[in-house]
Amino acid sequence: MYRIGIDVGGTFTDLVAVDDKGRVTLAKAASTPQDQSLGVMDGLDRLAEALGVPRAAMLKETARIVHGTTVATNALLEMKGARVGLLTTEGHRDIIEMREGLKDDRYNLRMAPPVQLVPRNRRLGVRERVRADGRVEIPLDRASLDRAIETLKRDGVESVAICYLHSWRDDRHERATAEAVRAAMPGAYISVSSAVLPQIKEYDRVCTTVVNAYVGPALERYLTRLETRFREAGYAGPVLIIQSHGGVATIAESVRLAAGAVLSGPAGGVAGSRYAARLMQHGDLIPFDMGGTSTDISLVVGGEAAIASDRRLAGQRVALQSLDIASIGAGGGSIARVDHGGVLDVGPQSAGADPGPACYGRGGTEATVTDANLVLGFLDPDNFLGGRTKLDRGAAEAAVDRVAKALGVARMEAAKGIARIINTHMAEGIRLVSVRRGVDPRRFAILSFGGAAGLHVTDVARQLDLSRVIVPRLSAVMSAWGMLASDVRCELARTHIGDTSRLDVAALRAAYRDMEADGRRRLGAAAFAGEIRVERSADMRYGEQIFELSVPLDGIDLDAPDLVQRMAQAFHDRHEALYTYNLPDQEPVLVNARVAVIGRLPALPQEPDLKAHAPAEPFQHRRIHLGVWREVAVYDFDALAADQVIDGPAVVEAATTTVLLRPGDRARTTPFGWLDIAVGKGRGVSPDAPA
Amino acid sequence: MESTVDPITVSVIQHRLRAIVEEMGEAMLRTSYSQILNSSRDFSTALCDPEGRLIAQAEHVPIHVGALPYAAKAVNDFFKGTIRPGDVYLLNDPYRGGNHLPDLTAFVPVFEGDRHVFWSINRSHQSDIGGATHGAYNAGATEIFQEGLRLPPLKLYDQGQRREDVHEMIVLNVRHPRDFRGDLAAMIGSARIGERRLGELIAEFGADVAHAAIEAVLDGAERQVRAVIAQWKDGVYEGEAFLDDDGHKYQDIHVRARVTKRGSDLEIDLTDSHPQVVGFVNSSFANTQSAIAVALAYLIDPDTPKNDGTFRPLKVKLKEGTVVWARPGAPVTLCTNHCAQEIMEAIIRALAPACPERVMAGWGRRFRIAIQGVDPRTARPFIWHLFQSRPGGGASVAGDGWPCGGEWQAAGGIKFGSIEVHEVRFPLYFRRHEFRPDSGGDGRYRGGPGAELEMVVETAEPAVGNTAGDGVKYPSCGMVGGKDGKPHSYWLESKGRPDRVLKTKETGVVLRPGDVLHAYSAGGGGWGDPAGRTKEERTRDVDLGLVTEAAAAAGRG
Repeated sequence: MYRIGIDVGGTFTDLVAVDDKGRVTLAKAASTPQDQSLGVMDGLDRLAEALGVPRAAMLKETARIVHGTTVATNALLEMKGARVGLLTTEGHRDIIEMREGLKDDRYNLRMAPPVQLVPRNRRLGVRERVRADGRVEIPLDRASLDRAIETLKRDGVESVAICYLHSWRDDRHERATAEAVRAAMPGAYISVSSAVLPQIKEYDRVCTTVVNAYVGPALERYLTRLETRFREAGYAGPVLIIQSHGGVATIAESVRLAAGAVLSGPAGGVAGSRYAARLMQHGDLIPFDMGGTSTDISLVVGGEAAIASDRRLAGQRVALQSLDIASIGAGGGSIARVDHGGVLDVGPQSAGADPGPACYGRGGTEATVTDANLVLGFLDPDNFLGGRTKLDRGAAEAAVDRVAKALGVARMEAAKGIARIINTHMAEGIRLVSVRRGVDPRRFAILSFGGAAGLHVTDVARQLDLSRVIVPRLSAVMSAWGMLASDVRCELARTHIGDTSRLDVAALRAAYRDMEADGRRRLGAAAFAGEIRVERSADMRYGEQIFELSVPLDGIDLDAPDLVQRMAQAFHDRHEALYTYNLPDQEPVLVNARVAVIGRLPALPQEPDLKAHAPAEPFQHRRIHLGVWREVAVYDFDALAADQVIDGPAVVEAATTTVLLRPGDRARTTPFGWLDIAVGKGRGVSPDAPA
Repeated sequence: MESTVDPITVSVIQHRLRAIVEEMGEAMLRTSYSQILNSSRDFSTALCDPEGRLIAQAEHVPIHVGALPYAAKAVNDFFKGTIRPGDVYLLNDPYRGGNHLPDLTAFVPVFEGDRHVFWSINRSHQSDIGGATHGAYNAGATEIFQEGLRLPPLKLYDQGQRREDVHEMIVLNVRHPRDFRGDLAAMIGSARIGERRLGELIAEFGADVAHAAIEAVLDGAERQVRAVIAQWKDGVYEGEAFLDDDGHKYQDIHVRARVTKRGSDLEIDLTDSHPQVVGFVNSSFANTQSAIAVALAYLIDPDTPKNDGTFRPLKVKLKEGTVVWARPGAPVTLCTNHCAQEIMEAIIRALAPACPERVMAGWGRRFRIAIQGVDPRTARPFIWHLFQSRPGGGASVAGDGWPCGGEWQAAGGIKFGSIEVHEVRFPLYFRRHEFRPDSGGDGRYRGGPGAELEMVVETAEPAVGNTAGDGVKYPSCGMVGGKDGKPHSYWLESKGRPDRVLKTKETGVVLRPGDVLHAYSAGGGGWGDPAGRTKEERTRDVDLGLVTEAAAAAGRG
């Protein structure tokens, strides 16, 4: 039986089939942004071709398809989502546009306010009000509800978000409203806050519910179409969609909680990193995915990816649990510029893919990171991305010269400077996900993937005093493999607010049990019948603090008579670990109870080892600039033998990436052909280089 | 001064300095204890050299920043020769570089070997600092001693050892000792993070390179600012702004700015401002310097670093005994808002003809109320500060003002908490909280709307409120032909009594169970000639309910 992983990117759709023996077959097709399912079906044809079987036969022999999609992400980033209307408590329709009073970019007072996903005339108040303790202050007024629904219908609304105050406590008005909308607007997508995010804090809830309504219809249309195409092609097994939290969910569940898929794309990479952690037997990794415009950085601790619930995407708050991925504006296309003060900065502006860096010869004139890398000799103009693109060295030099002139330095100094600044930004990005979360990055290995990462990662590692970098041979395979190995995951949360000493413990236990039962039910609906693991946690804080800490409750028995005391102690301990102090004389407050119900998928067979052969010789020598010009050996990544050792300075090239080993670095290939680099000490420039 | 360090190293160090102060701020945000710090973010982090020159600051509360150098210098002068690694210093006296008493500042010295080379600084607004009234704002004060505990430069940690006597003396004099302890621990933790990171930076680059690079960073900021100012039209410009009153005997208190712009230099002369007044709207010298720095910071390019070099083109003329430079002993607690915002407004209005594309219309003035009572559900006492009903932001060449953007001096930096959480934690019921139609000033670009808050007090016994603020008479100003916004309007609705209009500077307001607080906040000012606003934009204003049909029909939209 096969398992098939499908990752739709901006340019290519990557497919991977793994058979029962762990053999991997790859295929690639052009992505079709108008209807991504076309590219997916095209890719399945190519995959079948590569396997040498008819497509129908392949699909009949397929046990599971796992899919990462950017449909929800793109709808949000490109502001091309549904026409949404919001029904909310009368007198409170501006919560989403008040943004809790905050504005980014403190010193920029010449800046237009953000465009609203739901403009004010489609945010309608309904006469109703529930109290914080669940009491009904104002019963749901049908006449006011009907009027609001009429207005939305007249306005051509196709997707309705419903969010009332205190629905985290009692959702009866929201449920009744959803029923009324369903009856009056058949076919409309309905997003109900108490189902999307049953948690206190109305700004988080309304934003997440609106994002859900905004991306839901597009995701529903796409996944329904895709499922139909799969069925027509003869596939009868489960289709699982990668979620922002790194687990997978069924199509029905993904459509219901569409906002949970806004990070489906990068989540595939992180899933791959978990797989890499297992494969390398190194549980502490920093996945580092550097692309053209941005670098995604996250943290895998003890083989598990860190989760956060305070994500923003395209300026929108999505308060669902999601992988803690920091995306910084630093990539191969990042533009270098010199300000009036003579200070050099690189990014976040990017030349993107079009026009792209100056050296692409598509009309770009500004110096980018890729131009600097070409000038430094790190890239081969005739063999970039496996020779698919020829680079124009003259154009790169001219662009870098303009930066050099503005700085008053020589060309090579400017090129080196551009690389140095972008590396500083990326090192700060790693600090952001590690040091600022109370984690010392030095015990971690950087897992480098994405086309642009290999040239920068050894310098970034040096800046942070990290000693190990791992480069997988084919990161597309790693991502797809990771996706196939992802657990079926259901995240549930419920607000159960109160000082720990005053909590109704029986109700708390019941809340945890209900959520667990609900999660198990959802897994059952996903036709999951394997081993199930349950993880409990609690969001807690000291009385007046505003940020809750997520406290894992591993090893705390739900039936323990001193349950609440144990939870409080776990909170004190975690606060001290993260922030250097705790306040033992203060009473913690519980805000949210959380449960993750996780269905473990059967383990995939190991990626097979490389066939033994003699160590590969370099296929050429090239001059590169590391403080001074040096002639270094260039190796073909795919030709390396297992356990081969390469000492820096050297370059390792593949069709998808180029890796730079600096002086002092030593790379060793693993049995399955990945690079495992011991990073040297010092600045990584030649000893004879001027300081 | 020309630096000998290569420009690449300078660039790297500039980015690292910024990352350090941001990390200090992040730690503060996540660990501080009071609502005013962790929710409303009323704190700042910065690095100075021993003489008090500002090296780097994080983007938190603009009004703190220009004052920090005076504070660092005061501590340095007082303790010169006795500063050791592991020491921690405190200060809040507005007459020695503080903004006002609730802004407590912690200083951690950074050493290179045995040489003191930098200060790592955290300035944070305390939820209470003792004094005659809860919550630090005493509208009745006529001298600083009624405003709270006054700290000159003092040593809290001596070479790593906390001086318990000093610590207890301070804690004893504030109303919420538990919160205070938590916040102080967070402040010192934050400053120590700066100490550690700066030490790492010096170790990595070497002391000589680091210092030379920092000089180059400051020079670079100066060049950036001068390049911007040089584009403005030379001339002598005048601008004026008014406070409603001082809560005692003065009304229509003016701040007058005479700004001379020549080449890339700006001289700001505030000597013709109103004599100092009785109430707490006086500004300390350092706070005024800060307000002037903020006005400039808002007019230059937003991504220019804010450091000592940034403000070198400024020359300031003040006269002691005016409302912008009060003599020691005068009350000043409201000054970070008022008269700081009037200082900014006078300068920005003055410069409007010189750089119309850079000036923005006025943002809202502050009008706060702190309510003290007992929660009948728990029988526990509570103090609640109003942060809801944010006033509107001013419009600019970039477009309409931010809805509920906030006060000019904080510009979207103050967060109000969740209404649901407030209702769980306080005996308050938020009946309505929406944009206030017709509040934003008309113009080519319209001012952002303020809000309408209606909140029911649900105590069993009467609660007491203190107000502090300004701007029920003077609105957010329009700019470059744009119209003013609507000013604040707050009143109390109490069953069986006529509505009671709330003044901006009252103590001991009685709120009876069931009373409804109506807090209607000011809209932002408009920018540019209203004739330039398109028909489509006007139709949309009405569709969105930001302008009422009545106002539109009356031509007031």
